[in-house]
Amino acid sequence: MTTVEAPPEAPRTRRQRLFAALDERLGLSGLQYPVPEHANKLAYSLGGLTLITFILMVVTGVYLTQFYNPTVGGAHSSVRSIITSVSFGKFVRGFHYWGAMAMIVLIGLHLLRVFVSGSFKRPREFNWVLGVVLAGITATLFFTGTVLKWDQESLEALEHNIELGKILGKFGFWFSPSFGGVSILTRLYVVHIAVLPLLFVLVVAAHMLLVKRHGMAPSPFRKEPEPEPTRPFTKHLAELGALSLVLVGVLTILAVLAPPPHGPAPVAGIEVTKPPWPMLWVYPVEDWVGVGGILWATVAIFLVLFLVPLVDRGPERDPRKRLPMMIAAGVVVLTIIAFIIYAAVQPVASHIGMG
Amino acid sequence: MVKAVATFGVIAWILLGAAPAASAHMGEENVPAFTDIQEGIAILAGQPDLMDNAMDKVHDALDSNDQNGVDVALVRQAYAALRRGDGANALLLLEQSVGACPGAPVLNPQPPPRSPEPLTSPCPHPQHLQGLSRSAVGGGQETVFLVLAGVMIVVGLMLARRIR
Repeated sequence: MTTVEAPPEAPRTRRQRLFAALDERLGLSGLQYPVPEHANKLAYSLGGLTLITFILMVVTGVYLTQFYNPTVGGAHSSVRSIITSVSFGKFVRGFHYWGAMAMIVLIGLHLLRVFVSGSFKRPREFNWVLGVVLAGITATLFFTGTVLKWDQESLEALEHNIELGKILGKFGFWFSPSFGGVSILTRLYVVHIAVLPLLFVLVVAAHMLLVKRHGMAPSPFRKEPEPEPTRPFTKHLAELGALSLVLVGVLTILAVLAPPPHGPAPVAGIEVTKPPWPMLWVYPVEDWVGVGGILWATVAIFLVLFLVPLVDRGPERDPRKRLPMMIAAGVVVLTIIAFIIYAAVQPVASHIGMG
Repeated sequence: MVKAVATFGVIAWILLGAAPAASAHMGEENVPAFTDIQEGIAILAGQPDLMDNAMDKVHDALDSNDQNGVDVALVRQAYAALRRGDGANALLLLEQSVGACPGAPVLNPQPPPRSPEPLTSPCPHPQHLQGLSRSAVGGGQETVFLVLAGVMIVVGLMLARRIR
């Protein structure tokens, strides 16, 4: 016996017809797959907000590149020109600066949320690794952006980078000022505006495909036996859009009222600044073990992050039942915060040449 | 679980412990005094609150094996001025000691002159040696952007609440 499928209901209004036409060609209804209700909480929107911030960075970055001169002789004055002469230049630069800070905070909180809720556990271990890679790319974007503004802080950051290249020996050849035919500033510019954004897009695409493949991780706090209610993913996207409006509003206020300062033109051979706060946690490490401490501390943090799924591999997701892991993570986070505060109140110190 | 946490700790300790030990600054006396003075000038002109750093540079200049192109007597006076906390006078003396205004950022110091030319008046401080502070955008766009931001925040919060 054969069954005859009922034809789909014909769209009635103009809006429905438009959606049907687009859906037929673009498969938009494919986005209406179910996601658990808890996915609509702010804590579960942090990854999406990080991606939105990245898009905002691309848009404002494209504007800034129209006026930025990525050469040693012209970079500082071109940034000054953006601040003082270019239409909306001061605002756009401020938005880019605060957006970069927001991206660092959002991706950090997203990693923390995934860790605490055990969302990295089987079968999502590889997606955790991709998330850590994205955090690394974000940190590198932040570092290269710091160098591009080419003031005293930038040059000192670059000099530290060159020192780290020397520690890496043959593997650090790219960071040598003598490598290539253009200055390292110009090469870092290419990395900042092309290489890293491209990598970010590729890795985030894989990250999202895996989220779609495995679905959102179940809430660690849900105890009810019946399955959690679901909502279409498009609702999650709509909420993300609403939160993005709030984010853009906050970044706009910060960009208008507190645009970033711009230091004096760089002078080689002196160390008179401290790094911006996201990189400040390595400053005390540098005090104690020299410039090499930056490399070792960064490698240590990322190695520990990569190893998380191997170390905490039991099926339990509830953070209250994973107390030792929570305590270990708390110690790491508090140590980083304590290092940042300690470095902020310490006087400026010279590190290059310490070893 | 305790074993797992211990593994974390050991890995972090090994990685941090493998870091090279610090060693003292070396070879500063081989840096030309001319370079030290230019760096000292740049510090005093750009970040006058960092007088200790400028004093280090002046001290290095006095200890340098290569004092070509520098009037050492004026550098000594500048050092004394710095010790008194008189940064403005020290800056002037340092500029006179090399017979040059900072003018451009010192990225690749040129070979110093054989003897400094005397300066008859203080150097003008070019804009690029001054920092720009965190001052608000200002003007008409400030109000427009703030109103827009307020609207976006309110609408965003209302929508987020409604969708949830």
